[in-house]
Amino acid sequence: MASTFPSPEWVKDFGQKLNSDPHYAQIAKKWEGDITFAIEPSGPVKETKYYYFDLWHGTCRRAEVMNGLSIKSAFVLTAPYENFVKILKGEIEPMTAMLTRKLSVQGNMAVMMRSIPVVLDFVRCAREITTEILT
Amino acid sequence: MQPILKIDLTAHTASEYRIPANWEREFLGGASLAARLLYTDLRSDLDPLSPGSPLLFLVGPLTGTAGPTVGRFVVCGKSPATGLWAESNCGGFWGPELRFTGYDGLWITGKSEQPVYLWLEDGRLEFRSAENVWGLDTYQSQETIKKQIGELGVHVLTIGPAGEKQVLFAGLFCDHGRTAGRTGLGAVAGSKNLKGVAVRGSKKDLPLARSELYAPRRSEANRAVKADNFGDVLHALGTSGVADYADYLGTMPKKYFHRGTMEGVDQVSGSTMAETILKGVSTCHACVIACGRVVDLGDGVRRKGPEYETIVGFGPNLMNTDLISIVRLGELCDRYGMDTISTSNTIGLAYHLYELGILTEKDVGFPLVWGDVQGAERLVHLIARREGIGDRLANGCRRFGADFGAEEEAVQVNGLEVPYHDPRGVSGMALVYATSPRGACHNKSDYFFVDWGQVAPNLGIALFDKQAGAEKSANVAHHQDWRCVADSLVMCLLSNVPAETALELVNAVCGLDWGMEEMMRSGERGWNLKRAINNRMGLTRSNDRLPKALLEPFPDGPGVGFVPDIDGMLAAYYSARGWDPVTGRPTRAKLLSLSLEDVAEEFWG
Repeated sequence: MASTFPSPEWVKDFGQKLNSDPHYAQIAKKWEGDITFAIEPSGPVKETKYYYFDLWHGTCRRAEVMNGLSIKSAFVLTAPYENFVKILKGEIEPMTAMLTRKLSVQGNMAVMMRSIPVVLDFVRCAREITTEILT
Repeated sequence: MQPILKIDLTAHTASEYRIPANWEREFLGGASLAARLLYTDLRSDLDPLSPGSPLLFLVGPLTGTAGPTVGRFVVCGKSPATGLWAESNCGGFWGPELRFTGYDGLWITGKSEQPVYLWLEDGRLEFRSAENVWGLDTYQSQETIKKQIGELGVHVLTIGPAGEKQVLFAGLFCDHGRTAGRTGLGAVAGSKNLKGVAVRGSKKDLPLARSELYAPRRSEANRAVKADNFGDVLHALGTSGVADYADYLGTMPKKYFHRGTMEGVDQVSGSTMAETILKGVSTCHACVIACGRVVDLGDGVRRKGPEYETIVGFGPNLMNTDLISIVRLGELCDRYGMDTISTSNTIGLAYHLYELGILTEKDVGFPLVWGDVQGAERLVHLIARREGIGDRLANGCRRFGADFGAEEEAVQVNGLEVPYHDPRGVSGMALVYATSPRGACHNKSDYFFVDWGQVAPNLGIALFDKQAGAEKSANVAHHQDWRCVADSLVMCLLSNVPAETALELVNAVCGLDWGMEEMMRSGERGWNLKRAINNRMGLTRSNDRLPKALLEPFPDGPGVGFVPDIDGMLAAYYSARGWDPVTGRPTRAKLLSLSLEDVAEEFWG
């Protein structure tokens, strides 16, 4: 798998990774909730991109590029493109991004705080399939 | 700032005190200003429970202005638990209401012959008999005093039976369960026969040097706090919303700091509370977060829900996973008027010593079994009443351990019980606990948040590895200085207000034109002055230490096998601080650089 972020192929590959990674399948086996990335303009991204992932019990049932927030997902993670890049590069951890206002989270905080290991492994999978990042 | 009302409880007299303008400017308010005001009074030979011992309540320059999470006050003095500097700040509405009376502080000394409470309405002070309030719990006391006054809008701060009995970790409580819990200043009030202070004020037009600048900026700051993820977590889950992450990182200790994991720990978190018993939230003055919990245990009674320290202290600390019992134990402590950190820590020591065979059923009167909190509940009652084994426990874990020849088993620093942010999970807390001016304290620097990622590079507060050593020391010092600024404002640490915002607010309210460096120097000045006060009262470098339990690795969990390099961290810290490595005192050069000439003269000639 070799994916360039951001791109429709990256979204597809990320979905496939989530469906084939045994560690994610195990750690996220109780997770129920879809997530939308709202990637705000910065750098090469000129308008907000919306990437949607329907996550259910350690699998990804749907991964696609959306036109706006057309599906009301359980969680919306919003940040400028450059901050998504920092997370994907491992320059900043997801929790650090949350605590320093670099990443906004909308959704049920009880679920999110209880599921931090799932979130961190979700990000690990994203990092592992990302081979190139547009600058 | 407005004047302070100096109150002599022995003579039942009061007079106004004007704060010197240069002290206002250099220390801003709150705890730092209190340190300046009390510097000469806090001596090594001062008995904290004697009539001469001061109890100084102060607000900050932002208190009552509806700025971001600044509806707070601080109470300072000499701690009967530690014999060192005491400070404890508190939310609710009492602090702003005090300010609306036209006073920015109450400086109380002496001892009333009979129990009294104070009733301060604008400029008028009454000493009222507390004979029929004495003995009531904090919730009952607040309601009874309000009824006696018989007017709307009164806010009451009281001690409970534990303060009356001079339990060394008794606190002061207002607005139901808002607490100035740490360092035992409730016992100081009790020693003065002071049951409480009721306030109501009409002077809401507070002194703001540049109100036209302040108003839009504070609105903007509040909007930012409300939009912040962390504010969202606190609003949705309370402070115990971080419990899951603390457990994940290995910063939540279990079994009196001797275990890193526990089956069922997820049953005692803010998330579980939100999903089961949460019925509402409560807030402090003008706070947009509202982290306070309101719960219902199925009996139709709305109760205060526990925050993180109470959850862990009466939960995993005692190997207990029953959230309902934690709510009840927290409420019991509140009603008696005791700090839940120190109470649960000291009880945890009793369970630990019982397991070691150092403490027996004959000593206690009943068995202590991990996970069974019936014993803990009985101990809470005994402590508050100073009955049986409770009379020893009421003196805190250090003295309780010493009573049984096991002081080294007590998880405390300088007599203050360690809170539940374990430095074997995030190493910065090792230095924080060892060097805090009031003993083991997580609020003089909540550095665990920095270790989780809440960095501020512009203040020199960067991200280091969670288990980093000496390279983290200067970072910790910077963070302590920043939090010392917050304590002078008096601003809640949970709101995550950026320093740039705080600087703009301070400049607007105080009419200053400070840059960041000057604001941070004010924090550093306050930190060093508190250190000097402690040095005067006998603190030396040998006091900067960690208890044995925190220097032994967890046998399990995320932090397994790790202990912080406290000696290396301390050496680097002293260097970063400009403190004398032999005596542990701020050097002459450091004191002079902070305009503390009188302290430099006293220490170094």
